[in-house]
Amino acid sequence: MRYAVLFWEYIKNYAKTRLTYRADFWIEVASDLLFQFVNLIFILVVFQHTPSLGGWSELEVVFVYGFFMIPYGLFSTFFGIWNFSERYIVKGEMDRVLTRPAHSLFQVLFENIDPPSMVGSIVGAGIMAYCWTQMGLPFHLTDLLLMLVLVVGATLIYGGLYTALNAVSFYSDAPTGIVPLMYNIQNYGRYPVNIYNKLIRFVLTWLLPFAFVGVIPASYFLEKKSDDLSQLALLTPVMGLIVFGLGLAFWNHGVKKYRGAGS
Amino acid sequence: MLAIDVKDLRKDFRVQKNREGLSGALKDLFKREYREVRAVKDISFQIPQGEICGYIGENGAGKSTTIKMLTGILVPTAGSLKVNGYVPYKDREKFVNGIGVVFGQRSQLWWDIGVIESFQLLRKVYRVSEQDFKKRLDNLVERLQLGDLLNRPVRKLSLGQRMRCELVASLLHNPSILFLDEPTIGLDIVVKTEIRDFLMQMNKEEGTTILLTTHDLQDIEALCSRVIMLDDGQIIYDGGLDELKTRWSKGREIQFQFAAQMKLARLQELTQGLAVDWSMENEVTAKLFVPHEVSVSEAMARVVSGADIRDIKIFETNTDEIVRGIYQSGSADIAKKEVASS
Amino acid sequence: MMSAYLDFIRIRFLMMLAYRVNYYSGIIIYAINIGAYYFLWQAIYGEQESLAGFTVPQMTTYIAVSWMARAFYFNNLDREIANEIRDGSVAVQLIRPYNYLFVKMMQGFGEGLFRLLLFMVPGLLIVCLIFPVQLPADPVVWLLYLVMLLFSFLINSQINILTGLFAFFVENNEGMMRMKRVMVDLFSGVVVPIAFFPGWLKSTMEWLPFQAITYLPSSVFTGRTPLGEAGGVLGLQVFWFLLLLLPIWLTWRAARKRLFVQGG
Repeated sequence: MRYAVLFWEYIKNYAKTRLTYRADFWIEVASDLLFQFVNLIFILVVFQHTPSLGGWSELEVVFVYGFFMIPYGLFSTFFGIWNFSERYIVKGEMDRVLTRPAHSLFQVLFENIDPPSMVGSIVGAGIMAYCWTQMGLPFHLTDLLLMLVLVVGATLIYGGLYTALNAVSFYSDAPTGIVPLMYNIQNYGRYPVNIYNKLIRFVLTWLLPFAFVGVIPASYFLEKKSDDLSQLALLTPVMGLIVFGLGLAFWNHGVKKYRGAGS
Repeated sequence: MLAIDVKDLRKDFRVQKNREGLSGALKDLFKREYREVRAVKDISFQIPQGEICGYIGENGAGKSTTIKMLTGILVPTAGSLKVNGYVPYKDREKFVNGIGVVFGQRSQLWWDIGVIESFQLLRKVYRVSEQDFKKRLDNLVERLQLGDLLNRPVRKLSLGQRMRCELVASLLHNPSILFLDEPTIGLDIVVKTEIRDFLMQMNKEEGTTILLTTHDLQDIEALCSRVIMLDDGQIIYDGGLDELKTRWSKGREIQFQFAAQMKLARLQELTQGLAVDWSMENEVTAKLFVPHEVSVSEAMARVVSGADIRDIKIFETNTDEIVRGIYQSGSADIAKKEVASS
Repeated sequence: MMSAYLDFIRIRFLMMLAYRVNYYSGIIIYAINIGAYYFLWQAIYGEQESLAGFTVPQMTTYIAVSWMARAFYFNNLDREIANEIRDGSVAVQLIRPYNYLFVKMMQGFGEGLFRLLLFMVPGLLIVCLIFPVQLPADPVVWLLYLVMLLFSFLINSQINILTGLFAFFVENNEGMMRMKRVMVDLFSGVVVPIAFFPGWLKSTMEWLPFQAITYLPSSVFTGRTPLGEAGGVLGLQVFWFLLLLLPIWLTWRAARKRLFVQGG
């Protein structure tokens, strides 16, 4: 509750800041969408040369991508701490955060809140809805509820992973470069994981569970495949809680190792 | 009751050793060597409530590290500390409700929005009630004369204005201890004086305990009843400012202005037998250095009796010089000896 | 003066060596990337022997060498420049007696050199052991490829610098930098060779500098482009390198004007 109040305060401050820079808001929205669009091109290009990818049709893969965009948009809104290491560790803004009576992670997250990214979620939902009707999938109202649970779970997985990765900065006194490089790996959860060999599949499912932010939960709504990924779909919220819990624990442990900037 | 109680506090940092040159760097990539650096070496001190204490020392002496441990930012390697009844790093979120922190070199306000918005947000963060907040803010705004600044974004404020706003930001929740890390750095003399007066007044009226680090010894002279001096991670002096002066000042300087031209040799002749030192400023003025062992009245009497004097000034060695002296003299050893003997 | 610039390369090289976590995480990520794309393409090929003129072994080689090349030419100059502009330290750089952009380029080169020697060389060896990669036998191809790699680096860095400089004109160019990164990855042909693009996109790409970063050099390396046409590829790279100098120069001039007028 207290954090909801704080969250609202930070949002208000964000809005006040942003009203002075309105043009940038739209530039950000536009570039975010173009970014997603470029990823979509890859899928479209690939399917020009093959009718199916590991047994998945083009519409299905685009559907998965649409689903992925929803938690990704939410994640970017609430966990967009891309420059955490430079700003908070190297420049020492963590000092300030630690002298305030609220959890350090939430303060950092709230300070970096980024609502324009939410537009991506909306577009993703649109893409998914389009594929849904094109494939003529049955639709029940309970699907909406389930969708909500899966999306929250997926966002928590993302958030937990990035929290943990950022917490690495507490232990290393040099830039880690992990966050920008992770950028690449997240892509793979958007494709059917059965095309990968066992090792990569294992990594993407259980170690860096990016499969749980895209293909696994989305498969729940699609026709059953031979390997039946959708069995795992309902694990998404559980994974979300576990991964976020671990991320948070790692962060809390990391804060104790914080060395402060400079002398 | 004690506001701050520190016992055998220690902080070690693990610093990587950088081997030299390309081959060294290559080796570092695969096998790194570390070295422990002890930034704070088992220090102990206690600060009672309502005291203003200055925490001074050269750059790298361990001041900031101590302050950061006291405010819950860093976790100490060893030793015990209790601030305001809490162990700072353990109950961090509860603990920081009772302290205010100002880092002179770093802003805690939001850059792009009006100052008042930052205050409003801090009100929520510290859970201050609307009434208390209003009362407190009005009071602070009046005392620090912020009036029309409140709606300006921080980036449009001058350093002095910003610093006063930082002070307000750190005091909105009425903390009982205030930590100030270089609060007057880079400020002009007028703002410095204003801030000092404000702190003094607050300490008197509300009994706020203040611990400040500074390089400006005038801050210390104006505010502090007590000084803790740190060198190389150890406390080399802890006590009153006056005592510091008497203990480390080596003597006094007396300036004489003579009615007629005066020769150095003549003056030396007058004070023969006393361990004093003369230096000529110009043809009619000379300075006499009198160490503490020598009686000032005797030295003066001798000079007065032998020369026609137009004016006399006595200089006390100022704190700046004393502290510089301590820093330069490789301090720790000498200081410790003196502490031991006193 | 030149030795000062060379020193920027050296210092950045040493700096990279000091970032140990960065190094190890990079190795892991590149390994996963190459592996993942290898399997992704295996799935795309399915039963088919060749797609868009690429045979399966050619494709495998293409992926491996393209990612390794990316390790060399990739840098975060855009981010560095944008950060320095935002925190105002660029003003300090401007009063130093050197060309800021050239210094950035040198720092990027130091970083690239580090990755080339400590990343690409061991990485390529490992990749060759795991995946069926066919390396060219002709030393001329290797030599030519190295030269082309240098231009890949130059062109990519130019695009980065241009993106970074935009921080002068907009408050937050984070989105732009992200977009640029994806665009470079896609349009340079790292994730999909340009031959796979539909006709209209392919012909659009021919008018853009991106293909000169990865697609063209990697095609020469895999033998899809015969050695006889390699000269043309190199010529195109040089052309783009020279052409891109112009917008950089213009932006830089406008940026400096803005800096002096508005004081950042």
